Amino acid sequence: MGWMRRVTRAAAHRDESSARTHPAGADAAAAPGADAAAAPGAATPAAPTGTAVVVGGDALVGAPGPDGDRVPGDAGRPLLACTDLTKRYGDRVAVDGVSFSVGRGEVYGLLGPNGAGKTTTIKMVCGLLPPDAGTVSLDGREPARDAAARARVGYVPQDVALYPDLTAAENLAFLGRLYGLRGTTLRERVAEALALTDLQARGGDRVGTYSGGMRRRLNIAAGLLHRPALLVLDEPTVGVDPQSRHAILGRVRELGRNGMAVLYTTHYMEEAERVCDRVGIVDRGRIVAEGTRRELVSRLGEQDRIELTATGDLADLAEQCRALPGVERAAVTDRGVRLLTSDGRRVLPALLEAADRSGAAIDSVEVAEADLEAVFLHLTGTALRE
Amino acid sequence: MRAALVVAGRNLRQRLRDRSAVVIAVIAPLVVSALMSLAFSGVESFHYTLGVVDADGGPVAAGLLQALRQPELAKVVTVRRLDSRAAAAQAVRDKRVAAALVLPAGFSASVTGPRPLPIATLTSVDDTVAGTVTSSIASTFVAQLNADRLSVATALAAGVPADQSARLAAAAARLQIPVQAVQRALGSRPLAAVSYYAPAMAIFFVLFTVSFTARSFVAEREQGTVERLRATPAGARQIVGGTVLSAFVFAALAMGTIAVVTSAVFGADWGDPLAATVVGLSMVLAVTALTALVMGLARTQRQAEGISSAVVFGLALLGGNFVFVSVAPDVMQRAALLTPNGWALRAYMDLATGGGGLGTVAVPVAAILGFAAVVGAAAVALAPRAVRV
Ligand SMILES: Nc1ncnc2c1ncn2[C@@H]1O[C@H](COP(=O)(O)OP(=O)(O)OP(=O)(O)O)[C@@H](O)[C@H]1O
Ligand SMILES: [Mg+2]
Repeated sequence: MGWMRRVTRAAAHRDESSARTHPAGADAAAAPGADAAAAPGAATPAAPTGTAVVVGGDALVGAPGPDGDRVPGDAGRPLLACTDLTKRYGDRVAVDGVSFSVGRGEVYGLLGPNGAGKTTTIKMVCGLLPPDAGTVSLDGREPARDAAARARVGYVPQDVALYPDLTAAENLAFLGRLYGLRGTTLRERVAEALALTDLQARGGDRVGTYSGGMRRRLNIAAGLLHRPALLVLDEPTVGVDPQSRHAILGRVRELGRNGMAVLYTTHYMEEAERVCDRVGIVDRGRIVAEGTRRELVSRLGEQDRIELTATGDLADLAEQCRALPGVERAAVTDRGVRLLTSDGRRVLPALLEAADRSGAAIDSVEVAEADLEAVFLHLTGTALRE
Repeated sequence: MRAALVVAGRNLRQRLRDRSAVVIAVIAPLVVSALMSLAFSGVESFHYTLGVVDADGGPVAAGLLQALRQPELAKVVTVRRLDSRAAAAQAVRDKRVAAALVLPAGFSASVTGPRPLPIATLTSVDDTVAGTVTSSIASTFVAQLNADRLSVATALAAGVPADQSARLAAAAARLQIPVQAVQRALGSRPLAAVSYYAPAMAIFFVLFTVSFTARSFVAEREQGTVERLRATPAGARQIVGGTVLSAFVFAALAMGTIAVVTSAVFGADWGDPLAATVVGLSMVLAVTALTALVMGLARTQRQAEGISSAVVFGLALLGGNFVFVSVAPDVMQRAALLTPNGWALRAYMDLATGGGGLGTVAVPVAAILGFAAVVGAAAVALAPRAVRV
């Protein structure tokens, strides 16, 4: 994974052990001030020189931190606070009273299926869509009205938004200028962003000649260029190959560790589990649950998630399963039926009988411990997409 | 302001890379103005022999003959007197004359009476241009006579002795010559066709900037890049302003190129360079304001296309970019002054025919800038709508 290599200010080195001790998740969000001491790389405001070095190998080093964030004394106050955000399109309520906050150094995930309202929420956060009700505050300022607040946000839209007839470097330089970068700093940041996304060899090529995955990587690079305090990523890994996806996730994780606040949307449960300190589960425009992975999963108690891979009348199979004792939830997925049960192993024989009755052919059965997928099923009665 | 410049810079870079944009803005108008001036240069050097049969011998016929010998018409027409209508018909058939006019006996006397005799024109299918010019001379003369008849009638009604009416009519007929046969503008210098078509086509193609810019902006909006710009510190006005600023620069460059090439290669007369530049830049500014307005109005590429086409062709038709102004009917000449391009054309015609400098174009420039200000104000108000996705 070439572009997993980290680029950083030479001064921001820190070793792996300190990175590991850096608190993540709910703890970090609860006391954002505390992690400043544990993350010396991030505690230093980014040097304006931007002397970037590429560091290979496995050494975990800090990435460029957001400019001048993490001032001691703002502890306890989240960087981004959204309150009761609501957006209607005609009769349809796309976002329905959504409230959440993201602290400095925290990666916050909005996890939800297609049409849940993730993009709509993000657009309101970035000041691109006026909410019908509710407020967005970035350190007390509103991005929709305040250019200085927008300057601190890096927006990576769900659909690639770049100029195909310009080269990658030209695209980045253009956006960098709009964020006030110029001269040597601009050139360095462009080179750095290209290096981060492993596109330096193709920086002089027109984006129109890029592959879909390369465009996505450049799309992300364009949001990072100005080292925002808040990075907003809207499903950045859709259409990206597993390798690049792995790299993107690692990169996001790392940016969070280095003090950047990250708002990340996805409908991939495992992505949310991997990169997010806290997750808000969104369904039909509402946040139905919020917390760290552990907090969310612990709500379920000792429940198991069972995946039946099956063919046949899946709706009927789900219906049959729901009637069984010990089955809390059953929902059709694109490959079979997903169940939430109080004791997976004991329910299994009854499940197979139910499958027999409904005439469905079962290819495989998998029993897993409760995870975010199970939480989603528990909360909404439906399956998140695979 | 800086953000607008950054946006404009990116737009210009994209445009210069887009060959079709360069073609539309510079090459196409050069080609069209060259073709048009070639087509019309034939009219300028056009000359023919006109047979005239004066069976009347009266003062009105004499007035016509005299008018035909005036220098403006003499450049186009050489008059040959013929004896009779039959001789004239034969001369036309033999191609000794390209066309003929027959003034019937008693023509002068009939003009003051209740039933004027008609002038006959003899033309040949072999020379349609001469035929058209001859008919035009005849009808202009008749129109003139009718006006004179009216003034004579008015004079009589006002108490002028009736026996003087023939003399009055003849005098009135000499007052003016038929002018429509020759292309001639308002000033004192004659106007070469290319000096009209070069600015007319340059302006027409500059108007096309509206369509091109508005459409590509709507496309950008659909592709999500406008939204990305809105997420930056740049405001709506800077984004719209930067976009149309690039249109301004591009249109100004295109117009300048056309002016230089048409004067150097085709001998078009754009008049005083400073005044011509001021007129051109004002016109480009008006087009820029229009572009911003269309960007605010159109939601889809189709709408952008439709609105700009309506604007471009509406203005070009009204403003006289297709029809030579001085031969256009009076209503049209007045309607042209509702449009910035009409004013710009008039300014260029004045510069080419009358000489003069900034003073000559002050009024047109003020009118064009007034148009730009009104449209620009509306566009500024619509800027937030223009960038809304
Ligand atoms: N411009 C719009 N006009 C009308 N309805 C809209 C518009 N944008 C979004 N919606 C509706 O709002 C709801 C939420 O859409 P949104 O794009 O926020 O979902 P999402 O969670 O981002 O989904 P996905 O995972 O597919 O990207 C959907 O029902 C969608 O149809
Ligand atoms: Mg979305």
